[in-house]
Amino acid sequence: MKDAVHSVGRRRSIRTLGGLALAATAVSHAAPAFAQNRPLRIGIIAPRTGMLGFAGECGFRAVEWGVARLNAQGGIGGRKVELVTEEETSPKDTIDRFRKLVLQEKVDCVQGLISSGVSLALAPAAEQSRVLTLMWDGTTQDGVKEMLPNPAYVFRAVDNEIGVVMATLLTLKHYKGKFLRIAGVNPDYTYGRNAWTTFQAILKKYNVPNTVVSEQWLKAGATDLSSNVATLKAAAPDLVFSSLIFSDLPVFMRQSHNAGLTQSARFVLPDGGWQQLALKKEFTPEGLVLGHGSMYFESPNASALQKTFVKDYVDRYKEVPHFEGDRAYFCLQLYKAGVERALKAGGKWPNSSEIAAAIPGLPVETFGGMGTMRPDHIPDMTMFGGLTTHRNAYDFVTLSTVETMSTRDIQKPPGADFWQWLDSARFPV
Amino acid sequence: MEALTGILMASLFHAATLFLLTAGLQLTFGVMRVVNLACGTLFALGAYAGVSAVHWALSRGVPVELFPLVLLLAGIMVGLIGIPLERLLRTAYKRPEAFQLLLTFALVLILQDGLRLIWGADPQQTPNVATALGSVTVFGTVVASYTLIVIGLAIAIAVGLGGFLERTQAGKILRATAENREASAAMGVNVPRTYMLVFTIGTMLSTAGGALIVPTSAASLQMGVELVVEAFAVVVIGGLGSMKGAAFAAVLVCLIRSVALSTFPEMEILAIYIVVVAVLMARPSGLFGKRYA
Repeated sequence: MKDAVHSVGRRRSIRTLGGLALAATAVSHAAPAFAQNRPLRIGIIAPRTGMLGFAGECGFRAVEWGVARLNAQGGIGGRKVELVTEEETSPKDTIDRFRKLVLQEKVDCVQGLISSGVSLALAPAAEQSRVLTLMWDGTTQDGVKEMLPNPAYVFRAVDNEIGVVMATLLTLKHYKGKFLRIAGVNPDYTYGRNAWTTFQAILKKYNVPNTVVSEQWLKAGATDLSSNVATLKAAAPDLVFSSLIFSDLPVFMRQSHNAGLTQSARFVLPDGGWQQLALKKEFTPEGLVLGHGSMYFESPNASALQKTFVKDYVDRYKEVPHFEGDRAYFCLQLYKAGVERALKAGGKWPNSSEIAAAIPGLPVETFGGMGTMRPDHIPDMTMFGGLTTHRNAYDFVTLSTVETMSTRDIQKPPGADFWQWLDSARFPV
Repeated sequence: MEALTGILMASLFHAATLFLLTAGLQLTFGVMRVVNLACGTLFALGAYAGVSAVHWALSRGVPVELFPLVLLLAGIMVGLIGIPLERLLRTAYKRPEAFQLLLTFALVLILQDGLRLIWGADPQQTPNVATALGSVTVFGTVVASYTLIVIGLAIAIAVGLGGFLERTQAGKILRATAENREASAAMGVNVPRTYMLVFTIGTMLSTAGGALIVPTSAASLQMGVELVVEAFAVVVIGGLGSMKGAAFAAVLVCLIRSVALSTFPEMEILAIYIVVVAVLMARPSGLFGKRYA
């Protein structure tokens, strides 16, 4: 009993200390920064190891590239920028690292976050801390349901399903009438389930006749798919839709090729561009619908900014970047634009609330084109995709024709229910 | 018929690699009474070694027909890591089983970080060795020759291992040590050396399995953790410590999985565990396992 009393007392003390720390943080971020001569500190939380390591690494590199350029041009609002990095792992540990960045490192803003599970858990803590948090690829959705409807400090990435919407529209454009038997091979978590349902819902919306001959749900990162592919082949689909995005995607494509499936069926990989380097020509067919998110490294209409970034990236890392680099650079530029707009309006260094209020509606140039943040803190960007080709100098597939769509046309509007919107939306088919 | 053959061959291929993994696990438990949680990570180590071996062989112009052999040798050679690992495990032989489990779990973490340090966090693939070896037609179904080679190698290893355990002097010593460690030691058996031999062979089986699967898959840090779940289902169904059980249950688990995938995909994993539960209820020691007091 005595222990229990002490334990409760200790918990109270910790809670009080925690409250004080939180209040102190809130005050420090609500008030204008006094030490304006010190560099701006941007905390970056992203994975560099594990299943998402390949994505986080590309984002880190793009941010480092962007910060070097910013600092060469005088920084943000005249202040140099410093990066403080932390690893994104489990939700709990990442929240602890977020607090470390805020309380110990005293960062001015946090950027990064790729995993939906982590960002969904972290967003309320970020909102409570009143720290401007711009997510590269994380969302605040539980499935397609928005869990943080009116955030003040948190800015999230585009809806997870827009890549699927675009890939499905491209499927209709290029393959309508050429398939009947469809199969889905998707990751067994919310994104995979929603992706497959979205694909089927759009086919239904446009009265595309189809029969589902196989549905498979894979554990994230599974590497032995021989039984899955054999079953898939036995089902003899005309078209295979797969929203796999991790190391399982190239394995799936390789085993499908070895089983002869890539010769008999068409493939749709809505977010496969994430794995572009691993989609080797030797097992990835031409004519496959491949989504590249918000940047395609070899876009024929690429801006001077993208061309410079891709060239520098290839020179330095001997590989081409994927769209995570674009998301990371977009967040950095949004922050810069927000600070400078708020600074101009107020005449003094802005606090987090003022910067957050300044960001929505600001046009920002990123690698994939111009992007903006909507009032509900969800961005509008340009999305890329197309059909694959082997006609290139690389050992992986690229796009034969690059097609673009604006998220204004393929992302649900603020406050809308995803499934109802999907039913009523008028897409640029 | 064509579809059925395709599914069957894929199941057998998966069963072949799963058998190698579980055979190592069974051997180690059968003789040493140690449940090696690190077997999956050793499987991953074999896969990474296989990737490096294939790249090495390509750079040296080794004919593609020899690649299965190159992979097998790479798996066996990297399995020599079992010698220092067994040395580490010796500290736990006389301690409670929970301590042994913790120690092998620590090995999982250490080995995973080692893999990350050497090969990085990104999954590694080999060039498409599996298709380079061509294909054959089995009952009207085109099957990659590599699939048949791996199935054949696994059968050969199973037969060889059985022969080694049943018919050789060393095998008899292993079985005697498994039956009664103290009596074997009293009869002059060098038990520490026997344990080292067993653990190293067990490790080699796991690493060889990893090396052989990699041309159709990819080496990744998570692959071991993913497979070890299936491996333990095989062990429970086949019976802890039984090699025959491992072979039978590996095929059974893979067939169940394939049937579930074809009929009720949502039950892919559940179907396996329904069988596990049924076996545990009807015969807790497994279909081929010995009853322990």
